[in-house]
Amino acid sequence: MYFSSFQDLLTMDGHGVYVWLAVIVSLVVLAWLVVAPLLSRRILLKDIARDILRERARQSTPTDNHGEV
Amino acid sequence: MSWQWFHRLGSPRWFYQTSTRWLPLLALIAAAVLITGLVWGLAVAPEDAKQGNSFRIIYIHVPASFLALAGYYIMAIAGAVGLIWKIKLSYMVMKSAAPIGAALTFIALFTGAIWGKPTWGTYWVWDARITSMLILLFLYLGVMALQYAYHSVDAASKAGAILALVGTVNIPIIYKSVDWWYTLHQPATIKLTSAPSMHMDMFLPLLVMIIGFYLFYAAALILHTRSEILRRERKTAWVRELVESKAEIY
Repeated sequence: MYFSSFQDLLTMDGHGVYVWLAVIVSLVVLAWLVVAPLLSRRILLKDIARDILRERARQSTPTDNHGEV
Repeated sequence: MSWQWFHRLGSPRWFYQTSTRWLPLLALIAAAVLITGLVWGLAVAPEDAKQGNSFRIIYIHVPASFLALAGYYIMAIAGAVGLIWKIKLSYMVMKSAAPIGAALTFIALFTGAIWGKPTWGTYWVWDARITSMLILLFLYLGVMALQYAYHSVDAASKAGAILALVGTVNIPIIYKSVDWWYTLHQPATIKLTSAPSMHMDMFLPLLVMIIGFYLFYAAALILHTRSEILRRERKTAWVRELVESKAEIY
């Protein structure tokens, strides 16, 4: 390690605030790039599953289901 | 030789199923390379003689800027392929590339502003490089906005592709801005045509970070494209089978 202590790594001779802020914000943005599609995929899969169940219910009770799925 | 591979490549189903196998491995390698590069750059590399430790922001700023630009090529080429060959998967890639590119451009601008404070004494100047990067961000946001501006998916894709292609005029301006208008932003540290103007102890972790960002970009683009494929193909038999095979839904 270049720094003599963990404290030095955090402060970086007064530049720590800049460096760590840049690192943390960047990592948060990168994490969002991974989480966002996973979340939308999850919602979508549930949505499609609901569609399938609804269609099945409609097929099994073709006369009257009182608008329920 | 047949063109079968080309058509298979254009099949959303084939893309989805193949990426299911390879994405976890790619994501794992990307994460490992990024962590290695980040620890190396932040904690191991020596400090800069003039800038002190603030120069360590380079390990995020430069790779993010690289991918912000490379991502624009990918988005524009995907849009062009969609326009010329009417390949739907290509449009899905284009749509997916827009938010990723916007995020990377934001990172480049944000880390640049933070770096500017201790180095130049200001967060922002209307320097040519910085301004043209801001325009790049707006181009990405424009392509994103166009995806939601039309009722027809096809019309939205075409409009997005045309904006993406027109916007490529900005790319050489960004590259050349540091040479044409030499104001505050320094010229490129790394060039393909010459040796890096950096010591190896500083350059190697940067190289690792650039490779890491490329890998991350590939993984993120595949991930976004996969959920776009599901969204657009939700009525098809194969997506239905896929959902039905996931037992936890019932």
